[in-house]
Amino acid sequence: MRIIGPDYLVFGVDDLEGSKTYLKDFGLKPVQLDDTGWLYEALDGTGVIIRPKSDPSLPAPLETKNMLRQQIYGVEDAGALDEIEAEMSKDRRVTRLSDGSLEFKDDLGFELRFQVTIRRELSMPAEKINAPGAPAQRAPNELGVTDDMAALPRSLSHVVLFVPDMDKVVRFFCDRLGFVVTDVLTGAGPFLRPQANDDHHTHFFIRTPAYMQGCEHLAFHMGGPTELMVAGDRFVRKGYQSFWGPGRHKFGSNWFWYFNSPLGVHFEYDADMDKHDDSWVAREAPNGPEASQIFLLQWREKWAPSGGPEGGSGA
Amino acid sequence: MSAGQLRLCHRDDIPEGAARGFLPLPDAPRNVIVVNRGGQLHAYMDSCPHYRGGTPMAWRKDAYLDAEGAHIACHAHGALFDIETGACVSGPCLGRKLTRVPLSEAPDGSISVPAQVAGRAARES
Ligand code: FES
Ligand SMILES: [Fe+2]
Repeated sequence: MRIIGPDYLVFGVDDLEGSKTYLKDFGLKPVQLDDTGWLYEALDGTGVIIRPKSDPSLPAPLETKNMLRQQIYGVEDAGALDEIEAEMSKDRRVTRLSDGSLEFKDDLGFELRFQVTIRRELSMPAEKINAPGAPAQRAPNELGVTDDMAALPRSLSHVVLFVPDMDKVVRFFCDRLGFVVTDVLTGAGPFLRPQANDDHHTHFFIRTPAYMQGCEHLAFHMGGPTELMVAGDRFVRKGYQSFWGPGRHKFGSNWFWYFNSPLGVHFEYDADMDKHDDSWVAREAPNGPEASQIFLLQWREKWAPSGGPEGGSGA
Repeated sequence: MSAGQLRLCHRDDIPEGAARGFLPLPDAPRNVIVVNRGGQLHAYMDSCPHYRGGTPMAWRKDAYLDAEGAHIACHAHGALFDIETGACVSGPCLGRKLTRVPLSEAPDGSISVPAQVAGRAARES
């Protein structure tokens, strides 16, 4: 099944104004959808949709207080939707909407929608680096950093869910929707990617009690580690709360930086994730600080050595 | 201010119904959250008991309460805590509590906390 990954994640929020400010400051572009709904989009058009939690146009909430209301996935073409409809109609109600997209619930009660993807094709360079022994990636006089450099989320990368029944959810995504497991953190859960996406993961599941079911975090791809650091640094300076990072994960090799949000989930900047094909054999490691990251750093105020007793000025 | 105490603020710095976070020392690992509920001040470590070691809870500077201002909220995964007791009433850390911080108020309205709070990141008990 030619599923690409999440196009949009939909939230019913408590604090609409706070959420709007947050998403804009995170670097997403606001697009008003109707009287009560806003899309905050990354450069390729994927993103987060918010509405007040009482909005009747939202799918039903989870039984927990988690504000995630729907996951909207992009597929390659209408044929993929037909395939999904045929498979899902075997054992559940599937609604075909007027635009051809499909709505149904997964085996744990999460609301899903599948549509022909709205992603716009991006054509922008990745972060360029120079290193001895390799051809320079930046031309002479081309600078690596500038004060006003752009550092905007390019694409919705992945969603992480707290799930009360791991076997059920993995069977559903793998056996019914054709996802594959790329790696497993034992004690937490598996990373998954769909067939039409070579990113290490579009999904990670964490086993939890039923009263926690919901979204743990969502992540946006940045153009490289420097953009990730610059975006995170600017976000901290605006008063937002870093939760974990910056650092670099082992599984997926992606750089990460997580922030708290008024949507009750973490928002992550990520960069430079591994790509895989079907020849990849999933690894397994016990979940914990060692397996989670190759290194972990923490933000601090800018500082420079100067004015010490040795008379160095730092200048 | 007595020995072994660190001044956080003046009582008037926290309006009725509001919460604020203060670093007890510039390099302390965690804020102390002070909430004014009906004129009564309550203080807790900014350290959600959901994940091991405790993690910071606001989504923006001083944004420690839920949208209604009824509970202290962890904006990592939406846990809600009773303002008076610190007990988690909803969300991932049900059955656990925030670590309460004892406040001292001087005659001039200065609010201070025990100095050891500045070295304390993790949730105790
Ligand atoms: S870290 Fe506070 S609710 Fe998860
Ligand atoms: Fe992530």
